[in-house]
Amino acid sequence: MMTNPTGRVTQGQFSFLPDLTDAEIALQIDYGLSKGYAWSIEYTDDPHPRNTYWEMYGMPMFDLKDAAGVMGELAACRATFPEHYVRLVAFDSTRGIESVAMSFIVNRPKNEPGFGLVRMEARGREMRYTVHSYATDRPENERGGR
Amino acid sequence: MAGPLYSIPGSTPAAPPAAAPESAPPPATAATGVADAPRTVAAVLAQTQAGEVMDELDRDLVGLAPVKARIREIAALLVIDRLRLNLGLSATSPSLHMSFVGNPGTGKTTVALRMATILHRLGYVRKGHLVAVTRDDLVGQYIGHTAPKTREVLKKAMGGVLFIDEAYYLYRPENERDYGQEAIEILLQVMENQRDDLVVILAGYKDRMETFFQSNPGVRSRIAHHVDFPDYEPGELLQIADRMLAEQHYHFGPGARAAFVEYLDRRLRQPQFANARSVRNALERARLRQASRLFNDRERELTAEDLTTISESDIRASRVFGDATATPRK
Amino acid sequence: MAEPNANEGLITDKKKRYSAGVLKYRQMGYWDADYVPKDTDVLCLFRITPQEGVDAIEAAAAVAGESSTATWTVVWTDRLTACDSYRAKAYKVEPVPNNPGQYFAWVAYDLVLFEEGSISNMTASLIGNVFSFKPLKAARLEDIRIPVAYVKTFKGPPTGLIVERERLDKFGRPLLGATTKPKLGLSGRNYGRVIYEGLKGGLDFMKDDENINSQPFMHWRDRFLYVMDGVNKASAATGEVKGSYLNVTGATMEDVYERAEFAKELGSVVIMLDLVLGWAAIQSMSNWCRKNDMILHMHRAGHGTYTRQKNHGVSFRVMTKWLRLAGVDHLHTGTAVGKLEGDPMTVQGYYNCCRDSYTRQDLPRGLFFDQDWADLRKVMPVASGGIHAGQMHQLIDLFGDDVVLQFGGGTIGHPAGIQAGAVANRVALECMIKARNEGRDIRNEGPQILRDAARFCTPLKQALDTWGDITFNYASTDTSDYAVTAAPSN
Repeated sequence: MMTNPTGRVTQGQFSFLPDLTDAEIALQIDYGLSKGYAWSIEYTDDPHPRNTYWEMYGMPMFDLKDAAGVMGELAACRATFPEHYVRLVAFDSTRGIESVAMSFIVNRPKNEPGFGLVRMEARGREMRYTVHSYATDRPENERGGR
Repeated sequence: MAGPLYSIPGSTPAAPPAAAPESAPPPATAATGVADAPRTVAAVLAQTQAGEVMDELDRDLVGLAPVKARIREIAALLVIDRLRLNLGLSATSPSLHMSFVGNPGTGKTTVALRMATILHRLGYVRKGHLVAVTRDDLVGQYIGHTAPKTREVLKKAMGGVLFIDEAYYLYRPENERDYGQEAIEILLQVMENQRDDLVVILAGYKDRMETFFQSNPGVRSRIAHHVDFPDYEPGELLQIADRMLAEQHYHFGPGARAAFVEYLDRRLRQPQFANARSVRNALERARLRQASRLFNDRERELTAEDLTTISESDIRASRVFGDATATPRK
Repeated sequence: MAEPNANEGLITDKKKRYSAGVLKYRQMGYWDADYVPKDTDVLCLFRITPQEGVDAIEAAAAVAGESSTATWTVVWTDRLTACDSYRAKAYKVEPVPNNPGQYFAWVAYDLVLFEEGSISNMTASLIGNVFSFKPLKAARLEDIRIPVAYVKTFKGPPTGLIVERERLDKFGRPLLGATTKPKLGLSGRNYGRVIYEGLKGGLDFMKDDENINSQPFMHWRDRFLYVMDGVNKASAATGEVKGSYLNVTGATMEDVYERAEFAKELGSVVIMLDLVLGWAAIQSMSNWCRKNDMILHMHRAGHGTYTRQKNHGVSFRVMTKWLRLAGVDHLHTGTAVGKLEGDPMTVQGYYNCCRDSYTRQDLPRGLFFDQDWADLRKVMPVASGGIHAGQMHQLIDLFGDDVVLQFGGGTIGHPAGIQAGAVANRVALECMIKARNEGRDIRNEGPQILRDAARFCTPLKQALDTWGDITFNYASTDTSDYAVTAAPSN
């Protein structure tokens, strides 16, 4: 358990709310599709805040009209990686944006060890900080997930 | 996750959430009024758009009696389902997978295009778009290629209608390295398990579809509606011709229509008649002849009447009238 | 106000025009009713109140003259130049609806009058001289159209809205912040505590206030050291990228650079400047920020002295446009529903100037020109001042997702503590975004959505109980002249 008020990694749009049900996730997907976004599923076992690139579960899905296609892939991802963090990412290709438009976590491992703050004294009263992800104490594939 | 949702050291913890909060709103389908739940067919028709859908269909498409009959039945089922739901009775969603079988030019693709909109307005599919594919869109060229290709197409079609034209090409038993079977299997699974997400329509010529179904009984069993697209009657073909001309701002001149009736009569006796498509081609050729005719009269000031009339001579110039043995281009 | 002979009085005979003496401005060529503005002209809209007895067109021509080449008497040295092209041209004058004595005057300036990439020059040119001009009782620069040719000479925001989100890895929702309170008096250590609590509780940013620079009660180095400790601890506790706007404003540019460098060394993602530093400082720091991957938060300290009164000063929308060109990433643009001045439509106009790729003319929102931003990066607007969680639905409805919502008092004043305040704000935000995406009408159902969320979130319940009834309903002093129900102004 982490020590912030939710006890979990609070990345993504809805981390402070109770976990979204599948029906609620489908509504968010439909909202993104109505705006023309392309959805993508990503997973990781290292939720470090600067870890931008989670593993892609398949390519981003373009030209979809309905959430069912994404939900099917999501179910498959959760079945394959039940102890990983999984998130849904929506891409907006509009000129001037061309970046991610939505992102929220849809699966978490049962235990979230979180991070430690590593301090290194520097000159004067200065300190150099590193956020250390406990997940990386073990090699990939041995971190609890499959 | 044990314990309260928000734990701030030293402050009063919140009570753990009772079940998932009821923030998932009711699904946005056609009829949302619960207060005065209708009890009559007429009331439901007013609420949904079933009546207008039927009227539009009757108006816009010539002939196609079996098709219209089947759609009317489906619409009736929707209405009755709605009434059942209003009384608290269960109403399982029906299987809507279809096969459209008939000769070329009998309207299979045209109706499929409309089917997606129709089902959407009747409340059976969520989004109402149509994805039209043939075998090459579903089947890959090497091992492992087919499954992702098929799944990709299925994802794009979810919420709407998947129309597979000339579906029998999926099955090529003579080639043992053919991957069509894989696509068929994936299709069968989705047709069975995700009826709420997708409607599949297979289409093709009668005899070949029959062979396909015989070799793939699993497919036939999952098709709830086998719809026939019969050849058009000559009267219907004439109606179609009238509409096609009107759309393009033409009309038959004196004697031209009677000539066209004769044309049809002769043409039907010749092989490879493609129904509406052949009518369209014939009219195209008539347009060409009209244009050439007018072109040769350089000095005449052409009125709107001149430009929109297909004259009798434009029809009778066809080879069908001259050489009894000639097979016109299609 | 169409005059029978709109160019009456224009003297075209060069001998007459340039012989010594005093002429009216409209005779000297500063008024041209037939002028068609070029795509490369800078266009300004002034709201002028001429003194009694001063003709509106003459006043407009005077504004054009005094903001370009004229002086109160004819000078022969004009003949040494291609003076026609250097003269600004007033080309349209219209009375302001419902305000007798006030006129809108459109003036066009040739591109040659301006230095590339210099806001100091643009402002010195346009507002440097004319506002003290005696024949005008009052004058306001209401709106400005900067041509693409000139926009392209500016670098614009060093980071921009999109890259900021990518750096923070936060998408699809507004960002949350809070200003440390009390504004003054905390020691460095205690200041850092507030930072830590607010960020750990769920906010994305904390903020120094504009008057926290380096005072006897807290030296800037100590503030930076303690704040960064809090920021990093909070980042580790939550797994999010966190930041606190370190105010690097100082007495001289050397001080500013020194403070900014220290902030960079300590690993901050963002620094903050006050508007009172001036245009040259802002542009210099904008360049510095780009070179050092830093987000630049601009506090609009002092703007109210000249933006608030409708009849005199510079409109904040002009300031927004200038600041976007000068290059800031965050800009305080108003809350509309909080404690500080701001009519909702006018404030939305400012937000549009920050975030649009192409701002369209929108008179009810006070936007008089189309402005093509030529793919200039976008500014993240900041809503700060007297807002609380109970207003979340109004804020999202008014401003959308791309905004930083700052709840200073609304976080730190929470009865159960700062973390609870932060939790309340974050939960209110997330549940409102979720409901909006689901298709609910948050404008009308907002309070109910908040109450539903409060059932599983005690901090939110406490926040709603404490502040639910607070509103700041005073008449705005700066409303649009084209609102549906036009209200007379002062």
